[in-house]
Amino acid sequence: MPEITIANRANERTRAAGVLDQFAAERLIAPETVAQVQIALDEILVNIADYAYDDDAEHQIHIRFEMIGGCLAAVIEDDGARFNPLETPAPDLGAPLRERRVGGLGIHFVRQLMDEVIYERVGERNRLVIRKFLKA
Amino acid sequence: MEVVETRSGAVVIVEPLGRMDSTTAQPFGDRVVKLIRSGSDHLVIDLGQVLYISSAGFRSLLIAGKLIDELQGKLVLCGVSAEVKRLFEIGCFTDLFDICATRDEGVLKAT
Repeated sequence: MPEITIANRANERTRAAGVLDQFAAERLIAPETVAQVQIALDEILVNIADYAYDDDAEHQIHIRFEMIGGCLAAVIEDDGARFNPLETPAPDLGAPLRERRVGGLGIHFVRQLMDEVIYERVGERNRLVIRKFLKA
Repeated sequence: MEVVETRSGAVVIVEPLGRMDSTTAQPFGDRVVKLIRSGSDHLVIDLGQVLYISSAGFRSLLIAGKLIDELQGKLVLCGVSAEVKRLFEIGCFTDLFDICATRDEGVLKAT
């Protein structure tokens, strides 16, 4: 199962997306499923960058992709402050265009697009598992 | 991300290619804002070649929409695939934008 460790920088996210693309191509996973997992992964990595660290040091984020029992999963681990994205409040989706803010939308996308999202604090690390069941 | 820009009368059509995510959305958004500020506030964004849109991508679309509203221009989206439409629905963005099926309809509506 492919793994990648990236630094906590925007351009590193492209590398993680590339590993997922390649893994999905090898396993012949449907493009729309891959797109959904790519979105969820991007949202989670952005959240880590925004909330996990209160210093400017470079941090490592470890990502592992798995295919188990018809389910595509990504396991994302960081050494940032305890942060459970599932506890973030739902975004206000009713506001008109001029008043719309996009805060909280990323995690909303993760919840809506993935079949399972599991948060664990493991020692000094955050571990988030996202799972998408593949259509038969 | 690569962006194809074409002009049809007074309307500018912007066609982003590939993924609109946290890496690509900002340069795309900056480019669109620059275009609007330089006077092209009748705009069609053709999403037909977009693989997916993350919240960062929607943020750039919202910024463009707000700016065009302020300038009393017109923003129309077109080429929204079923998969991308689902993302608009999840984010409750469908009602915030004018969405046309085809580019020609979009140009007509943005004129």
